[in-house]
Amino acid sequence: MVRELLLSTAALFAQGDVNALLRARCAGCHGAAAPGGLNVHDAASVESNAARIVEAVSAGRMPKGGRALGAAELAVVRDGLATKMWWSLRPLQAAEKGSIDGFIRAELARKNLAPSPEADRRTLLRRVSFDLHGLPPTPEEVRAFENDRTPDAYARVVDRLLASPRYGERWARHWLDVVHYGESHGYDKDKPRDNAWPYRDWVINALNSDMPYARFVEQQLAADVLHRDAPRATPALGFLAAGPWDFVGHQELREGTADKMQTRLLDRDDIVAQTMSTFVSMTAHCARCHNHKFDPIPQIDYYRLQAVFAGVDRADRPYDDDAAVYAKRLSLLERKREAQRRLQPLLDKVEFASSPALIEVDDRIRDARSLITHIGEPKTPADAAEKKTLQARVERDTVLRKQLIDALVGEATNAAIAENQAEVKRITGEINALPKPLHVYAGTSLFDRIGNFRPALEPRPVHLLGRGSVSSPGDLVEAGALSCLPSVRFERASDEGARRAALARWIAAKDNVLTWRSIVNRVWHYHFGAGLVDTPSDFGRMGGKPSHPELLDWLAVWFRDDARGSLKQLHRAIVMSAAYRQSSANREDAAKIDADNRLLWRMNRGRLDAESVRDAVLQTSGKLDLTMGGPSVRMFWFKNDHSPIYDYARFDPATPGANRRSIYRFIVRSVADPFMDRLDCPDPSLLAPKRSTTLTAIQALALWNNPFMIRMSTELAERAKTVDAAVELAWQRKPSNTERVFFEHHVSKHGLASLARLLFNTNEFLFVD
Amino acid sequence: MTRRNFLWQYGGGLGGIALAQMNAATHHAPKAKRVVQFFMSGAASQCDSFDYKPLLQKKAGEKWDPGEKVELFQSNPGVVMPCPWEWRQHGQSGKWISGLFPHVSTCADDIAFVHSLLSKSNVHGPATFLQSTGFILPGFPSAGSWVSYALGSMNENLPVFVVLPDNRGVPPNGPANWSSGFLPAAHQATSIRIGSANPIHDLFAPEGSFVTASSEMDGLALLEKVNREHLALRAEDSRLDARIKSYEMAARLQLSAPEVLRVDGESDATKKLYGLDDPLTEEMGRRCLVARRLLERGVRFVQLWSGADNGFPRRNWDSHEHLAKDHWEMAVAIDKPIAALMKDLKARGLFDDTIVHWTTEFGRMPCSQGSKGRDHNPFGFTNWLAGGGIKGGTSYGATDEWSYKAVDRPCYGYDVHATMLHLLGIDHTRLTYRHNGIDRRLTDVHGNVLREIVA
Repeated sequence: MVRELLLSTAALFAQGDVNALLRARCAGCHGAAAPGGLNVHDAASVESNAARIVEAVSAGRMPKGGRALGAAELAVVRDGLATKMWWSLRPLQAAEKGSIDGFIRAELARKNLAPSPEADRRTLLRRVSFDLHGLPPTPEEVRAFENDRTPDAYARVVDRLLASPRYGERWARHWLDVVHYGESHGYDKDKPRDNAWPYRDWVINALNSDMPYARFVEQQLAADVLHRDAPRATPALGFLAAGPWDFVGHQELREGTADKMQTRLLDRDDIVAQTMSTFVSMTAHCARCHNHKFDPIPQIDYYRLQAVFAGVDRADRPYDDDAAVYAKRLSLLERKREAQRRLQPLLDKVEFASSPALIEVDDRIRDARSLITHIGEPKTPADAAEKKTLQARVERDTVLRKQLIDALVGEATNAAIAENQAEVKRITGEINALPKPLHVYAGTSLFDRIGNFRPALEPRPVHLLGRGSVSSPGDLVEAGALSCLPSVRFERASDEGARRAALARWIAAKDNVLTWRSIVNRVWHYHFGAGLVDTPSDFGRMGGKPSHPELLDWLAVWFRDDARGSLKQLHRAIVMSAAYRQSSANREDAAKIDADNRLLWRMNRGRLDAESVRDAVLQTSGKLDLTMGGPSVRMFWFKNDHSPIYDYARFDPATPGANRRSIYRFIVRSVADPFMDRLDCPDPSLLAPKRSTTLTAIQALALWNNPFMIRMSTELAERAKTVDAAVELAWQRKPSNTERVFFEHHVSKHGLASLARLLFNTNEFLFVD
Repeated sequence: MTRRNFLWQYGGGLGGIALAQMNAATHHAPKAKRVVQFFMSGAASQCDSFDYKPLLQKKAGEKWDPGEKVELFQSNPGVVMPCPWEWRQHGQSGKWISGLFPHVSTCADDIAFVHSLLSKSNVHGPATFLQSTGFILPGFPSAGSWVSYALGSMNENLPVFVVLPDNRGVPPNGPANWSSGFLPAAHQATSIRIGSANPIHDLFAPEGSFVTASSEMDGLALLEKVNREHLALRAEDSRLDARIKSYEMAARLQLSAPEVLRVDGESDATKKLYGLDDPLTEEMGRRCLVARRLLERGVRFVQLWSGADNGFPRRNWDSHEHLAKDHWEMAVAIDKPIAALMKDLKARGLFDDTIVHWTTEFGRMPCSQGSKGRDHNPFGFTNWLAGGGIKGGTSYGATDEWSYKAVDRPCYGYDVHATMLHLLGIDHTRLTYRHNGIDRRLTDVHGNVLREIVA
């Protein structure tokens, strides 16, 4: 009785008294005035700041000026706040010892469920090959694995698969989904990005070389700042430019207009949403118009994140193979920017010079020019005459315009412009004298103005916007990260690179609990077809909760500390687990208890994604071209018109590279490849942390009739020559006797290509058990 | 997964959905079952068509002074530019309509005009997205996809959502305008390029291949047999069964699609009504006639585009340079066919449960751009609706005396979308799909049903 009473009192103290304790020790400062956003009298404020409180008192930074908390008090704060915190923000709590199967089995046992037996060898090899390579195994590989009875046969298969460059090609595709990578701008006038591909290659190489995850994060946000000595890391900055870009808004709208500001706001919004969804699985972009409705993300956090990216735009960025040349280039580009900082205000004097006479001349010139464009190639003599008159008018007015402007801005300005332009020209000359650079379409401020698209010579000021509207600017905001987690120092300096570097460090920090949970869950999601958390890019309250919280935390800590961020080790740990290796066959008893298989009493069956379908078809028919890297293959007919035209129906399959892996497809935003689209390839303007699987009639038609499928059916027939060989190539097994009879009969009537077409359309080809 | 979700995910798109099941998806009794939408790409002028402002004629050529600084897309405001066409009153309602649309004018009493629309962008791309998907960003599902998601199919043998693009090309943003975004691919539009050799992608195997009529038939039969064998050991997995069924539906589409696109069987009177006898109207006429055939067979949402990209020579409504010439060329091609479709739907008893919606991404300025053009005007433009559940002969909202700014009951595309869904029996605030942590809607966090135009 006494013992029970004591226990419950202790529990009460731990649970309830954290508020009392905080009030006693912190209310002196953190009262209604709420410095740092914390008011300990307000339960919601305590809750949303829970992670920061724990961090600050544990590190002894708080209470400021007072006695540090004792061990018992610390325990009260930690335990008390942990229960108040949303699961994803809690400190990582890793069991000392653990294993994937240990956690999985413990949960199964709790529901009186047993795992399934291991899948047969063929199924297992097919599963792990598609999983790690996005390609089926060859019949020879299946036979070898079936006949290899050594105990480490499977482990050696896994090592072989992870060591192959096909691995990076496969898993890079997942990453490109998450970051909504595309190779055209999207919107109106959807221009191609000829230099986007180095980012794709960087991702493939980073994965193949097993770059530690923290470094993988840092380079994508700030390779130019944190890895200045490694020019080959520059393409990582393609991350910042992965998403869509409003060409007309940036390049045609005039500086200083509300529409221009909105274009930039939305451009930054896309980068913020992508960065936070990708790395920390938080929907920070929901706080653009108001405080986040569900998660502890105040509106100001969102604008702090906007400020992180306030100095970059999306444009081609030069880099070099040679570190010395690259260093020289960077210093010259920075000197050029210095000169442009002096020059630009002077040029703006000219650009924004105005007088009634000048407006009139400008209007006349614009009118004449637009009418000239409108006439185009004159079709009648009258048109030709009008065009000539208009051209003469433009010439006259251009001279007049120059005179008017000179009179407005004055000699001194013109002289200063000339001087600075000479300086810029001199530096540009030096830059041009360097060996020809490589280019990547990336986040950058080191580019020359094109039309009305000009680089930020300083980070642009970011204001907190009432209701997210550019017409309601509030206070200026400095760069920062999410306040619900321990922060790092953001430089106040005008150096935009330092802001990105600070955010990169904040994300890649050991104590950023979101980062490590996010990546292990993402990887788990692709291996099992469902994450431990089924919303891989949303760990907030609108997202899911982990099915196995202890496993998630253990895996996150193991990956961070023991595996030191090695994704290959993470893959190996997962695919070596019994949970992964078990059969996907149904069991009525288990299905009654856990129909969705959240507890993993069997493996999930899945349909191949669009890229795997295409790549598997190519490999099966013996046509897969394994050339790696370089510019993407344009699998469409292209015309670089005013609005570029992309036509997949007019693609010539004899185009070099037409049979390369799907990761090397040129990805257009405005016009999806209809074949891939029908197989649920996501819209590249959307962040796609998972893919949907639909099974529609339109999809069936694509698989059945698309010229690519028909072509490859013929190829497979030519390669296989016999029914048995065709079946084995497609299914990695011989046909049964009954199947053989039917297939031979079909072939005798319609030829082997017709059977090949059929095989590509079977569920056995398209699903992985 | 609920049964309904399952059907959406795996069985949607082309039939496969029990009709009763889908009717249960409405929130209230619908007044309409289907939608036909005309999208004037490039920005059709309100003040030269349906938004009558006598002041423009009166002050023609005078300096334009709306009493505030005006920020235009390309230009500085020019002088007041009169409408190049004569205005007349039409129908019982006495609606003033310009000579740009002499045929649509004859339907004035069936139409509800919304004159007070605003756009959130002055740029074609984002503004076109706003009217088609409810967002100024790419990646969101179009209204047609939302309607497919909400209501599903009324005909197992045809797609739910069909797009008939202009044969001159696709509008700004391209096919992303009719994307299903994050909605399952089952709600993708089927784009039909009428007049091209293969109007629907992959409907049939390419010509000259090894495929013959009998290999097709035997192949599909054997495929089903093989897939059924495979299914026998995996009977619990309904996706495998759904794939088998998807080939049955595909075969039905192969039969029904060519039939619906074939207009030879239509009477001469009908062909004439749609303007198939006149090269000026033949292209749009054919598309409108096909639209009627699709609608009467139960297609939910048909979207027809007038205009391609903003390039030169002008091939859409973006008349910056020479409005009188370019607007006329655009309008003359569509005016008669659109009116014909409305009349034909009426004659066949389909008008009362079909929503007809005419839209564009924004309007044009009352002042001139240069000497003969008009610049963009996102501050006030016109849409009109007719048919199922719409109160004909009405006008909602108004712009100022210049047709410059919406002043009476300003509204957005959200409100038109909300109204459209309302007429289809859907509460726009309850039609949601969770994506990346947000319950997304066609109307974002906005939208009010325009009650005044609902019959």
